Amino acid sequence: MLRGVLGKTFRLVGYTIQYGCIAHCAFEYVGGVVMCSGPSMEPTIQNSDVVFAENLSRHFYGIQRGDIVIAKSPSDPKSNICKRVIGLEGDKILTNSPSDFFKSHSYVPTGHVWLEGDNLQNSTDSRYYGPIPYGLIRGRIFFKIWPLSDIGFLRDSPNGHRFSDD
Amino acid sequence: MLRGVLGKTFRLVGYTIQYGCIAHCAFEYVGGVVMCSGPSMEPTIQNSDVVFAENLSRHFYGIQRGDIVIAKSPSDPKSNICKRVIGLEGDKILTNSPSDFFKSHSYVPTGHVWLEGDNLQNSTDSRYYGPIPYGLIRGRIFFKVMQQTGMIWGYASAQWSSSSIFQTEE
Repeated sequence: MLRGVLGKTFRLVGYTIQYGCIAHCAFEYVGGVVMCSGPSMEPTIQNSDVVFAENLSRHFYGIQRGDIVIAKSPSDPKSNICKRVIGLEGDKILTNSPSDFFKSHSYVPTGHVWLEGDNLQNSTDSRYYGPIPYGLIRGRIFFKIWPLSDIGFLRDSPNGHRFSDD
Repeated sequence: MLRGVLGKTFRLVGYTIQYGCIAHCAFEYVGGVVMCSGPSMEPTIQNSDVVFAENLSRHFYGIQRGDIVIAKSPSDPKSNICKRVIGLEGDKILTNSPSDFFKSHSYVPTGHVWLEGDNLQNSTDSRYYGPIPYGLIRGRIFFKVMQQTGMIWGYASAQWSSSSIFQTEE
């Protein structure tokens, strides 16, 4: 009787671990659903929008300029940030405010990316903490599923290009 | 006949995916065996030493000063680095060379760590590329399994490590 119950418990635990690992790998290597919060990507992504993120581009190093990515925050490893890739390694980035008289620029170091939110007035991004290592990127957002009034693939940046093309 | 073969193939693929995922999660969340190459951690870890790395400390944010960690390289996301944690966020780090007359120091920013190799003369670390975000850390090395014992074994290990057991992080 007891052996039957123990046997069933072990089988249940075994199946849970098994399917838990498979689900984890699916979210890790393929993609999943994410809810974004905060105003830094308005109007492209509003607060509490639900989006699809795919993780294949990151593993195949296919992230490009203009992609919206999810990354671990460089100042808080427990939270994630959601910004647009403005520059890849080697790109020249304009770093001055629009009110400055003289333009200043810097180059993105190897292995790093420069992120900015679409809502430039209300976004803490690479203009504040500098370029972040590519290794912090976790996935690429490519499709919005909620709210239904705004469903579809995501738009290009409303801010135009802020880097000098090579 | 064909249906039997197809059925067996699907079952085989299914089992492979299943156990592959379980093995991946085990290496990802518990730990695994790693081979380190390079001279930057001598004499603690020699070139081609085999060590155990555990990944639990990273997930529970239990990395401490003095731990040897494996992290993604900040200048090359495809490779890993193996250094010792010298400072955590908020710590004051001496950044001048011993030959400088005036001492200079800086503070480690929030969410970052300062890494240095044990072989200070021959190590590219935070003294070169600055503090790295905690999020790049992948695991903590705590046990040396095997020291390089000879040329033939060393060479075989180097080949094996190119398809290393240590998986990409979550």
